[in-house]
Amino acid sequence: MSAPALEFTAEEERRILRHGPWPPASRPDPSNRVSGKPAAIAFGRALFFDPRLSFSGAVSCATCHPPDRAWTDGLPRSRGPPSLFNLRFNRWFGWDGAQDTLWAQNLRPLLDGREMGVGPSGAARLVRSDRQLSCSYRRAFGVAPGADDAWIFVDLGKALAAFLETQVTGRTPFDDFRDALARNDAAGQARYPAAAVRGLRLFLGRGNCAFCHFGPTFTNGEFADAGVPHFIKPGRVDPGRHGGIRKLRRSPYTLLGRFNDDAQRSTAAKTRYVRLRQSNFGEFRVPGLRNVALTAPYMHAGSLETLADVARHYSTIDEERLHAGGERILRRLDLSAREQVDLVAFLKTLTEKTPLHEYVEKTGNALCR
Amino acid sequence: MARWCFGGPALAAALALVLATGQAVACARPQGWTGGARIVGELWTAWWRSKPAAIPVGAHFSIRFHLCGPPVGRVGVRGWMPDHRHGMNYRPAVTLNGLSGTAEGLMFHMPGRWQLILDVRGAAGREKLTAETVLE
Ligand code: HEC
Ligand code: HEC
Repeated sequence: MSAPALEFTAEEERRILRHGPWPPASRPDPSNRVSGKPAAIAFGRALFFDPRLSFSGAVSCATCHPPDRAWTDGLPRSRGPPSLFNLRFNRWFGWDGAQDTLWAQNLRPLLDGREMGVGPSGAARLVRSDRQLSCSYRRAFGVAPGADDAWIFVDLGKALAAFLETQVTGRTPFDDFRDALARNDAAGQARYPAAAVRGLRLFLGRGNCAFCHFGPTFTNGEFADAGVPHFIKPGRVDPGRHGGIRKLRRSPYTLLGRFNDDAQRSTAAKTRYVRLRQSNFGEFRVPGLRNVALTAPYMHAGSLETLADVARHYSTIDEERLHAGGERILRRLDLSAREQVDLVAFLKTLTEKTPLHEYVEKTGNALCR
Repeated sequence: MARWCFGGPALAAALALVLATGQAVACARPQGWTGGARIVGELWTAWWRSKPAAIPVGAHFSIRFHLCGPPVGRVGVRGWMPDHRHGMNYRPAVTLNGLSGTAEGLMFHMPGRWQLILDVRGAAGREKLTAETVLE
């Protein structure tokens, strides 16, 4: 409280710096042979807005992930659609991490009859029979769609992944502050609001937030129980990560399966070594916090409306319930009203300065012949 | 960056015992190694090193180890955060060749104090060898 806002201990400074720089280096996904290819990105963009990929012909990916609403429809459900920012940095996909690649995650709604449900043969038939789609497929993959439905289907997931990988969030006020700190630029640091500095201190210090919300993306990419109720309806709970690992092990669409384009399996260690434990029950993926001001409602089921509600949640968390699982990171913080406001002020500085600027046109790619 | 220290009360007690009975196993750094660290136990002493040399937060790493002491039947490798009371989300695969071995697929998924634990078993008994680090 008494220390001037901008004097940090060496340890605090190290802790701040590790949340950058932004954007971090990244490379194409070796499990996806069209990752980073412009023709595949264009094809994926067109597919994202194409309702013919649904059984009903009325639902596209964008129905639940509208780009102009930060890729999430904001409707509370037992599991809400996450925003689709910064996916290329994920280790696992879905709230329960049931998928180990972005391309496999993109297949999930196409397989699920409650979402789009077109399925492998329906999707393959569509691509082979539609002039535009088969032309775009050929441009992206270098060959005409073949006879194997399963491969065409997976390739759609890969084109969608190439597109979604491009959605990396822009620079934020926090990044400017962090970089000013890194180069010892006092004037640059002074532009960061004092309330955000206080909130940042809580985030890194007493709040313990950065154990889980770690690194440039503000997530360690793993799973935790953040004390959020996980009832689907009375008497039925969402098993969270426990169910996710079991689904992963049954799935043909993983890094250990035949659809991985990387013969070396160089990114498959996570899938090979992941471990199922009782404490995975009720754990959900730690969400990244970039652009968090745009992605309400919060938590896996959208149970918290605002960031102020999130700050209150962590402030009043039910320790008895949490400690049952054994992990002791989250504590009831009992933050004062002002501290909660500071924490929210900090969280807001993780949002792009010019949000919505990169959002995609909802049109398909240029005509392909 | 990682700062390593070894032991804690349990190991201090074991060391005292070893010194008293004069059983400490002399154990030289394995041939061809530069770096690496040593954990001294009562029955076994381990040399180990990680790849990459500085353990990263939230990325897979592997270790190689070499033990001095009686024959070994099995070695388990695990990680543990004593302050949070949780281990790793991944179960490493250990390959043992005599007294040497590797463990693949480890991941320390958050910053803070971690223990790297080798559970060594053989006809002579079983022993837990613990090294400790703080990851930032
Ligand atoms: C009916 C609504 C709905 C439709 C349609 C839909 N999604 Fe989703 N999406 C969701 C929900 C809900 C989740 C979270 C599911 C979970 O974690 O179990 C999700 C999760 C995701 C994720 C995981 C994000 C992350 O952070 O792990 C990706 C990627 C994704 N969807 C892409 C797509 C694509 C591509 C399509 C079209 C092929 C699509 N979605 C269609 C509702 C939908
Ligand atoms: C033990 C790990 C852990 C710690 C510590 C932690 N969180 Fe979380 N956080 C999570 C998980 C897991 C979720 C998702 C929970 C769910 O959906 O059930 C989450 C969700 C959130 C969300 C909502 C994001 C979204 O898109 O829905 C915000 C904001 C957030 N945390 C901020 C914080 C702050 C601020 C702190 C410190 C006071 C903190 N977290 C501490 C694991 C953690």
